[in-house]
Amino acid sequence: LSYRFGNTETNETEWKELPGCQNVTRMECDFSSAITEYYDTHHVRIRAERREEVSPWSSIFEIIPYFIAQIGPPGIELQSTNGAIKIKVSPPEANQVRKMWISYLDFKYNLVIWENSSNAEFRSQSIFPTDIIDDLAPDTTYCLKVQATLPLDMKEGLFSPIRCVKTTRKAVSDLFCATNVRVLALNMKFHLLWNNRYKQHVSYNVQYLIGYLKKLPDDYSAKWLNVPGCENITDTQCSFSSIITTVSGFYYVRVQAMSEYNTSCLSNEVKVDPLRTNEIGPPGVKVDISDVLLHIQISPPGGSESEVMREHYDLSYRVLYWKNSSNNEEEIKMKEIKQTIGTVSDLTPSTLYCVKVQAFSEFYNKSSRYSEEKCVRTPGDEILPLVILATFVIALIAVLLVATPLVFALYQAYAKMKYVFFPSCQPPLNIEGFGGQLFSSPYMSTTEEPIANFSIIETVITEEVNQIDFKDYKHSKQSSRDSGNYSNDDDTSGSKMSEEMLEKEIV
Amino acid sequence: IMNALGLTQIGLIILCTTTISSLQCNHLHLQQRKLIENSLQLLDKMGEKFPQQCLKEKMSFRFPEQVLKPRQKETVKVVIEEIFQHIFYIFSKNLTLAAWDGTALEQFQNGLYQQIEQLEACVIKKQIHYFWSKEVNRLKLKKYFQKIDCFLKDKKHNLCSWEISRAEMRRCLQLIDKVIRKL
Repeated sequence: LSYRFGNTETNETEWKELPGCQNVTRMECDFSSAITEYYDTHHVRIRAERREEVSPWSSIFEIIPYFIAQIGPPGIELQSTNGAIKIKVSPPEANQVRKMWISYLDFKYNLVIWENSSNAEFRSQSIFPTDIIDDLAPDTTYCLKVQATLPLDMKEGLFSPIRCVKTTRKAVSDLFCATNVRVLALNMKFHLLWNNRYKQHVSYNVQYLIGYLKKLPDDYSAKWLNVPGCENITDTQCSFSSIITTVSGFYYVRVQAMSEYNTSCLSNEVKVDPLRTNEIGPPGVKVDISDVLLHIQISPPGGSESEVMREHYDLSYRVLYWKNSSNNEEEIKMKEIKQTIGTVSDLTPSTLYCVKVQAFSEFYNKSSRYSEEKCVRTPGDEILPLVILATFVIALIAVLLVATPLVFALYQAYAKMKYVFFPSCQPPLNIEGFGGQLFSSPYMSTTEEPIANFSIIETVITEEVNQIDFKDYKHSKQSSRDSGNYSNDDDTSGSKMSEEMLEKEIV
Repeated sequence: IMNALGLTQIGLIILCTTTISSLQCNHLHLQQRKLIENSLQLLDKMGEKFPQQCLKEKMSFRFPEQVLKPRQKETVKVVIEEIFQHIFYIFSKNLTLAAWDGTALEQFQNGLYQQIEQLEACVIKKQIHYFWSKEVNRLKLKKYFQKIDCFLKDKKHNLCSWEISRAEMRRCLQLIDKVIRKL
């Protein structure tokens, strides 16, 4: 009894004999050598022979090598150091020229580890090609095995052979290691914080690794870089925002502690996915009221540097608003908006409304803390006329206060001006009669001045008395002829005349 | 009647869980758009303009565009993940002769890796990969990338082979960009 295997590929129609599978007496045959194109459809058929008799061909068996292939076991290298196990996994088909799984970077490795004692629990975890298993008890023997998986193909490969290794004791010098390494990130500012039991004479280096390097089979331990500004520091915290150059991509950060004796210790690593690790800070909020609408103005979190956040988070805002009355039973209403300006209508008058806003990213499932509460009172109907009246009265008083001194000052100015340019003088009492006419017409010309025409009669009179009289009379006449002016001479002569007259009477 | 009730309950539970888990995956394309734009920029940034002397060596690889137009729209996510995985693999080694900007290349790879992880979480959650794993078009896609891999190996990863591959990958990302914009 013998069998033949025939074979075709997708584009070929001829049946070929499978080498090594002709005239076989077993009920199986390995025909791997004939399979070269893993993505092509292959057809296999078989027939039996006995001496000269040949059976008809069997029905065609169709296979696509890639789809039916199984993942083989990976290779493992182990190293027990410092209480932890360093593992290096080499992919299946590691040294083959022609591979079924060309993109070996797609493999995800699954580690199963357990203590080599009775009733030990199996622990399963996902590991990188080069990794460290460190949450182990010291001085204990552990056994482990690894399988390679391809999630997209829904395939889990065969496990590697089981390997057992004993962990060492942890070095005493590790007392000065940085512990509790954690990231605090707010508004895209990243800080690394850690603790140290050993306070003195320890300096730190913060180091980072670009995330994808862990996926490659090469050893990445030499690819850790120092974070600029965080080298040789004594503070137990440092900002590493400078190395987060893009939001697309993971980073790993760790702290290297160095003692005064030049020994160093590496802390645990923290994975940083910039947009997921970051916390969105609260936005700023301002409220304004017009008589029917409450205006809410939101300033995005992060201030001037918020470009990155707005661009990648696609931020929306959740606005909470409620009536702040004495009884706290008012319901809190919520409004979600995408813009930074929102309005609330349907307001009851003369009520105190309070608002607080939260920024959130739906995709990243992140929301910020709430902003501070801002409250504003809506204007009321009864209060409004009072307000108007009060405003009017105040305005009136203000106007009066300003206007009165102003008017007074103006009047004073007017009076002064009038006095200077248009004086009103009172004439002396004894010439009031003359003044009367003059007063009535102050603008009369001088030609119309009443001048008494005195004709001078010069007669020589022998009598002394008469002469004297005449002399005096002359004087007075002369003086009176001069002008309408009343000179002093006149007065004196006038008074002289009266004295003379008195003398005459005496004589 | 009891059976019907039981089925309804199960149906509701499945509906609820898929709705909840699909919330993040539904908006994935918005994030992917920004990431692909970024990747294209970096791909341009890492090297110079296509060298004239390499024109004569140009190959036609014929990307199977039908993979980006699947019957089920959801499947396109897993297709994109697979394409990113292949591109990530191609740019992972033997780059010395390409003489590209190391920082741009690092950022490009890092961005691709993050997108792959993000897509994978979504794809596995929604079980999109179930049908894709046995799709015939998937084989066409694998053959395409196998061609490029063989081309690079044959030319011993020299400068021209790298520049041609880079131009080809650029075309690939642009096609993905176009598809994502339509989502």
